[in-house]
Amino acid sequence: MTTISQVFTKGIIAENPVFRLLLGLCPVLAVTMTAINGFGMGIAALFVLLCSNIVVSLIRGVVPPRVRIPAFILIIATFVTIVDLVLNAFAPGLHEALGIFIPLIVVNCMIMGRAEAFARKNTVGRSIVDALGMGIGFTLALTVLGIVREILGMGTAFGVDITGAAFEPMALFASPPGAFIALGILLLVFNLIIKRLGFE
Amino acid sequence: MRDSLKMALTLLVIGAVCGGLLSVVNAITQPIIEKRSIEDLREAMGDFFPEMDAVEEREIDGEMYYEIFDAGGDFIGVVGEVTASGYGDEPIRYNLAVDSDGEVVGLRIDSHTETPGIGDIIEKEDFQSDIIGLSFDDPIALDQDVDTVSGATVTMRGMVSSIRRVVDTIGMEFLGLEVEVVEIDPADVDDGTYTGTGSGFADDVTVEVTVSGGEITDIVVVEHNDTQSYFEQAEAEMPGRIIEAQSLEVDTVTDATASSEGIIEAVNDALN
Repeated sequence: MTTISQVFTKGIIAENPVFRLLLGLCPVLAVTMTAINGFGMGIAALFVLLCSNIVVSLIRGVVPPRVRIPAFILIIATFVTIVDLVLNAFAPGLHEALGIFIPLIVVNCMIMGRAEAFARKNTVGRSIVDALGMGIGFTLALTVLGIVREILGMGTAFGVDITGAAFEPMALFASPPGAFIALGILLLVFNLIIKRLGFE
Repeated sequence: MRDSLKMALTLLVIGAVCGGLLSVVNAITQPIIEKRSIEDLREAMGDFFPEMDAVEEREIDGEMYYEIFDAGGDFIGVVGEVTASGYGDEPIRYNLAVDSDGEVVGLRIDSHTETPGIGDIIEKEDFQSDIIGLSFDDPIALDQDVDTVSGATVTMRGMVSSIRRVVDTIGMEFLGLEVEVVEIDPADVDDGTYTGTGSGFADDVTVEVTVSGGEITDIVVVEHNDTQSYFEQAEAEMPGRIIEAQSLEVDTVTDATASSEGIIEAVNDALN
């Protein structure tokens, strides 16, 4: 049995959903044009993951195994719609920037994966810790990717000009192909660090 | 049997709880969302016309136009809540403000899916300052009074032709201005079939006009990119009206004004 702190840290480092498991890459690549978008998407996914893990864990044993997948999807879709409506009402700028990728959190395999692989077999407490670990890992990855792409693509980070006028922004990094390149480089760096630090 | 019943019931209960939760959240957020979008528009209209006091709505060809009046009840301009088709999947939604003299006084891009770093040029100062100050009598065309930006041709073309159309609509529907049509007498035109284009609602309209014995005998629409349900109303009426009158000074079809104007312009172009 893994300890509760291991449950938490594995989501951030050893099993980071983006850098280690390469899960849910569609929003990872699509919305990380800027640091704030990456961070917002990460938080939205974290919220959905947390809620779905709690509910899935609560109803474990009640839902017949053969209909668990449709049940999970119903639960996840409900929380995603709530996030969509709440963002639209209270954070319209972010809602517009994330666009279609909010509804698409429904099919984010990280969330489905945690429900299936963890929450349905574990207590509510452990499921919450798991969701927090995975969600924070996901948010960190998206934010880092967003920062890198924003600096290279626009010369700013979180909207603050940091490179000065001498730097000519590379528009490539603000576009989808740049997302692949930036993610590739980050995967290299992250995996190198993990190997060096001996997390494997 | 008992198993299937249990499965169905479980899903039913989960579905019902989820549905109930969503309707609560929707009831809370819906008024806020609606209020905000109206506020956004009002704010934009207030920026365009600081002396705005009252607003009257009017729908033309499926788009909303807002007539703006000042505190004295005088008409000061119109704001259109309109769309253009660009390079992205979604139309470019924008607001265009035209004052009572037919001059563009404001442009605000509401939402678009143009390529970041390329098509989003329409949000930049350079493009906006190109557009603001143009008026009904100007060509409002690429390379004439609006600079083309290389790499963003599709976005620019869609945007500029849409602005031309909106300025035309506002000019004709609200300001009583008229597009000058150089009237062609079919009697002066040699027999034959001629092709011409005009600008419709979304994009160019192309027609083939047949002239025989000094009379327009047939008008066929070859190509258009307008919304079918609107365009077909224009397509059904306009050729008949023009042939009957043997003139381009015919009434346009209500609800399909831009498409109708497009057909008239295209016939005019063909005969020239």
